[in-house]
Amino acid sequence: MAANYWDSTQAKFWTFTKPELVDMRKDLEKANQQLYNKYPLPDRRLMSIYIQQQLTKLGRRMSLRQQALATAQVYIKRFYLRVEMRKTNPYLIMATAVYLACKMEECPQHIRLMLGEAARQWPELGVSESSKIGECEFALISQLSSRLICHHPYRSLTELSPIFGLSNEETQLAHSIINDSYNTDLILLYPPHVLAIVAVFLAVVLRPAGQPAGLQAHSTHASASQQSPTQASPTSATGFSPTVSSSAAQQAFLGGFSGLKQAGPKLSKLVDWLAESKVDMNAVVDATQEMVSLYDVWESYSERACKEGITKFVKDGGTAGSSGVGPK
Amino acid sequence: MNGTPYTPQRHINDHYDIVGFISSGTYGRVYKAVCKRTPGSSQPTTQAKHPDGRNIEAFAIKKFKPDKEGELQYTGISQSAIREMALCTELSHPALIHLVEIILESKCIFMVFEYAEHDLLQIIHHHSLLPRTPIPASALRSCMYQIFSGLLYLHQNWVIHRDLKPANIMVTSSGAIKIGDLGLARLFYKPLHALFSGDKVVVTIWYRAPELLLGSRHYTPAIDLWAVGCIFAELLSLRPIFKGEEAKQDSKKAVPFQRNQMGKIGEILGLPKKVDWPLLPAMPEFPNLQTVNMHNPGVNRPIGLDKWYRNTIQNNNYGGPQSPPPDDSALDLLKKLLEYDPLKRLTAEQALKHPYFTGDGKLPSWNCFEGLETKYPPRKVSTEAHEIGTGSLPGTKRSGLPDDSLLRPPQKKMRDG
Ligand SMILES: Nc1ncnc2c1ncn2[C@@H]1O[C@H](COP(=O)(O)OP(=O)(O)OP(=O)(O)O)[C@@H](O)[C@H]1O
Ligand SMILES: [Mg+2]
Repeated sequence: MAANYWDSTQAKFWTFTKPELVDMRKDLEKANQQLYNKYPLPDRRLMSIYIQQQLTKLGRRMSLRQQALATAQVYIKRFYLRVEMRKTNPYLIMATAVYLACKMEECPQHIRLMLGEAARQWPELGVSESSKIGECEFALISQLSSRLICHHPYRSLTELSPIFGLSNEETQLAHSIINDSYNTDLILLYPPHVLAIVAVFLAVVLRPAGQPAGLQAHSTHASASQQSPTQASPTSATGFSPTVSSSAAQQAFLGGFSGLKQAGPKLSKLVDWLAESKVDMNAVVDATQEMVSLYDVWESYSERACKEGITKFVKDGGTAGSSGVGPK
Repeated sequence: MNGTPYTPQRHINDHYDIVGFISSGTYGRVYKAVCKRTPGSSQPTTQAKHPDGRNIEAFAIKKFKPDKEGELQYTGISQSAIREMALCTELSHPALIHLVEIILESKCIFMVFEYAEHDLLQIIHHHSLLPRTPIPASALRSCMYQIFSGLLYLHQNWVIHRDLKPANIMVTSSGAIKIGDLGLARLFYKPLHALFSGDKVVVTIWYRAPELLLGSRHYTPAIDLWAVGCIFAELLSLRPIFKGEEAKQDSKKAVPFQRNQMGKIGEILGLPKKVDWPLLPAMPEFPNLQTVNMHNPGVNRPIGLDKWYRNTIQNNNYGGPQSPPPDDSALDLLKKLLEYDPLKRLTAEQALKHPYFTGDGKLPSWNCFEGLETKYPPRKVSTEAHEIGTGSLPGTKRSGLPDDSLLRPPQKKMRDG
């Protein structure tokens, strides 16, 4: 585990309790009540799924690294804790977040290329000069208070896999579960290693060693994702289904924590290891629950609903108050 | 709605009074500033505080140049500025320069640092003025100890500095070392990527580690320790130990072999050999190594670090009643830093445990000026053009630096890959 996570700005300034998150969002809602009434949006997690899928498509076009996309998602999450989404053009925020994340993750893209690719993918982007991305970059960095270094669970996963002797497939499965976790608040709530443990746990329960993917409803293309690190989520080739089906996740959750020890040596090793480690078990349980609940809500995902919700307020932007995100 | 208008939350001129201009570096201009005073009062309107509680009296504000001079559009922030902003925000250690805040305003980035009165380049220069005086052994030991402490912190946090040199190591008036200029620094835990891929050239040539000169793609924190070895030698001798000339990139943008620099190292250490550095033949420029002695036969009869050290101690007037020479263990530390094989080179952690620091039972002071009479001149601050607005100032040569800095090789660095 990253020796320095506990000293990081992520731990100190960008990790919250659930009530804190609720309060921040309530404040945003209160300050923008009219916009909320006028422009209802689907569940926040569904909006996240939409954003993730959009970023993934962009990432594929531009052959971006997975890590950069994950960082961009974290920036977007943090930004929308401070700025009401309905006051922004989410496509511009997405393009800018990717542009900034690529520099942070050492795969910089030229600003004009970024604009071109984003404009091609999102007709709603609404800007045609790269200077708009440049200006939005200032807004983004300012809202993030220049705290741009992100700690992701992927690195913890790389450290944990050999400890638990995960197979390649299991590691890939855990990897895509981590991808899915960016559609929840978990990265704003818990340290990355907790999320990695949750992913390992779910992966092990869902696919005990030597057993075919019995519990899984959705097929995961684990090997495909290995070849293409740009894929945000090694989900089925046709598109973007969740890594785990809702019922499988629920089963895993119930089973895993109530004496499924006999499910396999890996799981019992994990359980023993957890018991001896100083890892916050409540966090692990709660985060697992959040994942189960994500897979549940995912069943109602409709790309159209999210897209249209955004289009409405982006179109009305002029009347909705184009004061943008500059603090008043 | 079009775009995302940006309105700054804080304004430089509301919070700081610019005192003058310090320097024009590769990537920006640096100004000296103090807290804003209310007109008619000598009290600052707000008092900036260091996390450790003390007041910060003076600031160095680094204003990043837009990519194009006089550019009035947002052009996107350079990767080196992004790195420096992110790393300085993330890191905090007594031996690192303290970042007070970052202000984004008028399409410019202002990084507000705590001011440091001196830097090692300036201190070296001061001692090299006639009559030449050596840097006192106690100051030297304290400087090195603080540098290693800061470096250990950086490396523990997965950061390679990549541009350590005397000008980037600052010293406060109370003798605290502050490593600065993280514009080239990088996180090195990214496993997927060879660190080489981003930037082709790192570290000012005189301080560049042999594995970089030989084209290594997988460099490690060890490159910083080589640079610190060079700085250690320079503090002892008051001149760069390996003062080579940088080979320019040719038109095909191929990175040339730095034969001259390799030769300068070879004149003192001899050329590296496979017996001492097992992975040497795997270096991309290994075949070129054989050509160094044709251009510089001196590498066939290297003087060796022992002799270099003895000459240096003698020529720099160490040994007088006022300036006892450094402990002999200094030579051993220097040898272990200027070790060809990066795997055998001392780490920052090992260096801190070296007998040079631990030998006499008393660790070095965190004030490198402790017990010294010498007064170093304050940093030169030019008050001619000290407005910090958006307008572009004429390209000012670096001030406050010794004349011989003009002879320094151009800093060929590609920060933005
Ligand atoms: N905190 C500070 N206090 C006093 N002077 C400073 C401070 N930071 C920087 N300076 C001065 O400004 C110079 C340039 O700063 P810095 O090295 O950070 O910028 P740079 O653009 O990367 O320059 P270069 O490429 O020449 O190293 C320093 O060498 C030093 O003289
Ligand atoms: Mg510098």
